[in-house]
Amino acid sequence: MSCKLGDGRPDWKSYALGELDGRVRQEAENHVAACADCQDELAGLRVTLDAMATLREEELPRRIAFVSDKVFEPRWYQKLFLRPAFAAAAVIAAAILVHAFVRPASVPVNSTAPVDTRAIEARVSAEVMARLQSEMATALNAAVTKAVAETEKRDDQRTALLLSATEQRYSDAADFLNKQVTRMYALNTGAGVR
Amino acid sequence: MIFREVEDRDLIAKARQGDVEAYNLLVSRWEKRIFNYLLRLVSNREDALDLSQETFLKAYQNLRKLDDPARFSAWLFRIAHNEAFSLLRRRKPESELSEPRPRDFGGRMLPIELSLAVESALKVLSEDQREAVLLKVYQGFKFDEMAEILEIPVSTVKSRLYTALDLLKATLAPAVFRKNGGGAS
Repeated sequence: MSCKLGDGRPDWKSYALGELDGRVRQEAENHVAACADCQDELAGLRVTLDAMATLREEELPRRIAFVSDKVFEPRWYQKLFLRPAFAAAAVIAAAILVHAFVRPASVPVNSTAPVDTRAIEARVSAEVMARLQSEMATALNAAVTKAVAETEKRDDQRTALLLSATEQRYSDAADFLNKQVTRMYALNTGAGVR
Repeated sequence: MIFREVEDRDLIAKARQGDVEAYNLLVSRWEKRIFNYLLRLVSNREDALDLSQETFLKAYQNLRKLDDPARFSAWLFRIAHNEAFSLLRRRKPESELSEPRPRDFGGRMLPIELSLAVESALKVLSEDQREAVLLKVYQGFKFDEMAEILEIPVSTVKSRLYTALDLLKATLAPAVFRKNGGGAS
């Protein structure tokens, strides 16, 4: 027995692998319903694919770990660019560079003199470093001032608490002594004794 | 599935900005699939694990080069494919000495035996044919995605896969048809 469509019969491998869609798939299904040869071919493919589906998926012997891996940390320049001070300095540096290379026409320029790129680079580097240091010093001063203020505030609060507790204890002791003295005086004078 | 793709895209975007945890989540989602694909290709657990590690490392380092995050899976498998075939090329002289032979699985088979028969039958295929089967049958890629991963025309993908299916059918026939009590030929 053979399929009457011959070489023009549906691509059963594509069909079984889920690659036929829409009209082509519908035509294949209509054909296979009436063709014993194609039914056999499709059944053979399905049995093979079903057998292949029994292959067990293996578990990993251990997890692929990246959390502690240094290569996955942001690079040093990525970290730098996340800091506002550095980003600001980089923008300033870029502005200086642009200014250095695109001078206004009114500035007298000796066209015959060679451009000293090293000097420009050195000047830009110095400027960037100065800006960076300035930014860092400002940030450091602010952080130190804030830390000192917070420490002083904490100390004041602690002192106030201690003082209040001591005053309370002193007041309680004074009350107690006062009551004792009053009681002894009353006993000695006979007042209040029935 | 669509929702999952959106989530992957989100994780890729975060990982591109240096969010290591986002990338770790991506790894945990894909590591089992990548490991199993590599394991069936190179047939060695330690090698497969090392290659998986390399695959995810290279993927992270090149994440910015991924043009379309929706194509992440095909791109990731492309990296895994390169890693695997790099190892297989280095191994070649050794593997040529020991050609795999299909094992004889006579009698009625239990599911575990059938699974072993399939494992054995896959080893009979050439590396190219086996990879085509792994990507299509076990990873569910479409023909055009496979062509992208393997950097070959769709016609070559189909040719490799169809030949592999014929070989698998012939190799597994004695086992599966006995199990199913005969019938299809």
